[in-house]
Amino acid sequence: MTAPDDTGDIRQVAEDALAWVDTRRAGFALGEDALAVDGEVDSSWKPLGELAQVCATVAHHTASFDPLHARARALLDFAWQETDGGELLRRLQRLEPFATYPLEVYAALASAGFRHPAFEEAAAVVARTRGWRLTEQDPTRRLGVLRAEERCGIHRPGQAPHMLTRTWLGGLSEPWTFERDAGYALTHVVFHLTDWGRDADGLPPDLVTYLADWLPPWLDTCLEAGMWDLSGELLAVAAIVARRTGDPVPRDAWRTIRAARRPSGEVPLQDRDPAPADPVDAEVPDDGRYFLHHYHSTLMAAFAAVLTSARPAGPPAGTGARHRHGGQGAPA
Amino acid sequence: MEQSGTSTLLQGAVQDLASGVVSALRGGDHTRSVLPAGTDGEAGDLALAAVRVLGSDALLPALLLRTPPDPAEVAVFRKAVEAYPPRADAAPTVRWSHWGMARTLRRVDPSVTAGPPDEPGTGWLDEAGWQTLTHQLAVLAPLALPGEDCAVSRLAGCHPVDVARGFVRAVRRRDWRQAAGAGRWLTLLPAVPDTVGLASGLDFVELMGGQDPLVALHVQAARLMRSGARV
Repeated sequence: MTAPDDTGDIRQVAEDALAWVDTRRAGFALGEDALAVDGEVDSSWKPLGELAQVCATVAHHTASFDPLHARARALLDFAWQETDGGELLRRLQRLEPFATYPLEVYAALASAGFRHPAFEEAAAVVARTRGWRLTEQDPTRRLGVLRAEERCGIHRPGQAPHMLTRTWLGGLSEPWTFERDAGYALTHVVFHLTDWGRDADGLPPDLVTYLADWLPPWLDTCLEAGMWDLSGELLAVAAIVARRTGDPVPRDAWRTIRAARRPSGEVPLQDRDPAPADPVDAEVPDDGRYFLHHYHSTLMAAFAAVLTSARPAGPPAGTGARHRHGGQGAPA
Repeated sequence: MEQSGTSTLLQGAVQDLASGVVSALRGGDHTRSVLPAGTDGEAGDLALAAVRVLGSDALLPALLLRTPPDPAEVAVFRKAVEAYPPRADAAPTVRWSHWGMARTLRRVDPSVTAGPPDEPGTGWLDEAGWQTLTHQLAVLAPLALPGEDCAVSRLAGCHPVDVARGFVRAVRRRDWRQAAGAGRWLTLLPAVPDTVGLASGLDFVELMGGQDPLVALHVQAARLMRSGARV
């Protein structure tokens, strides 16, 4: 990949973000309750899985000699070690065989090349049951599970299109009905369909057109509301869509995200999240609450920045949903 | 879109006038006068100012329902056009609003023999992003009339997706006046993406903001234009 012109400032967002993440590894570490029946998945396995997913994408889109690539690989090694080379995921799978989140975390690590054959064999057995296939989930989550299954060698052709039409995005909802929850749902549909930005061709043409048309007002209003986390996800979607349309980088939006960062490069979930007690001291604070209010938005900023700065230079050949609108496309 | 800087009294007069227009548009005919009959004294000044704020939309029922306006209304409208010419340093939207009133006056008043006024130009929108473009077009929504060509409508016609984005943004920001004005323009523009869902969008804007007569006016105008009303 070659970077489009002048995206160095955007790439810097990814570098700073992953540097902050690197100093907060303890926040991603699995605690003693990782295998507890009533363990807090949202504060243990979820952050670790998200770390793995973003770092796998960063590693995929950067060259092996790139320091950013090295940092992403080091964080992936850390995440894999946290699972004891996948063994904790296998044990978790034995404790909760019909839970989908172990497979989803495993799939993120597997996308970076880490494998645990015994886990995959066990997952395949469970996935053959009607009970697994009929797990009741919203369509967006189901698309994510289908993607995770694919990553583990479990193939269920024809399921994704059926699920897609039942999502807010796939049903081409009126764009003015966009709200926070719809935003998170639509970004994840895009991530699942494109394997987290690896395959922009996974987006059907009608969704490319729809997203190219409506991302600008969604992004504009989320940024105005200080919704930095969702804005980061929308910027990632914009970068994926731009691979198909050749749309320019939304520089104003990136300027806003850059300005929203804390001194150490971390991005708050939203505008009202508290700043460090002493903004001059980059080392403060290290409490769990601060981590939970910053880790995801920081990962998303890194994810979006890498997808944006690693975009192929120039417009794509033979496509371009925007082209039908002639000279339009005012700055986002 | 806020009438900031105008007095509460004037805002009330504008709202009353807009309510009358909405009522006439909804009634499907124009059997009663919308504009005030007398324009003498302080109350008359207020009424004229309200007509000037509402612009050409003060005579919208006559334009869209194709019914001849009451000559007394035309006289009031003409008085408002003549009483409030744009100042030399007036904003482009003010100039265009006045231009639109002069155009309407020529249409409804056979006694006006002067040629069409010069168009003020659209240079101030050359570098505007879609957010500003939509905002300014919403302010100039009275120019959004079927079959009525001008530089502003031609400019809007080149930017259907930008105006549609502005409509989405306005709804998201709960700026119902801007949403209604943008929605009115969208009914006239070619190549608006179908996915915008304009019909249900106009219903939603009316549901959420329709208690404001200025919102209801644009929504009702848009509905009539969608149903094929011509000027």
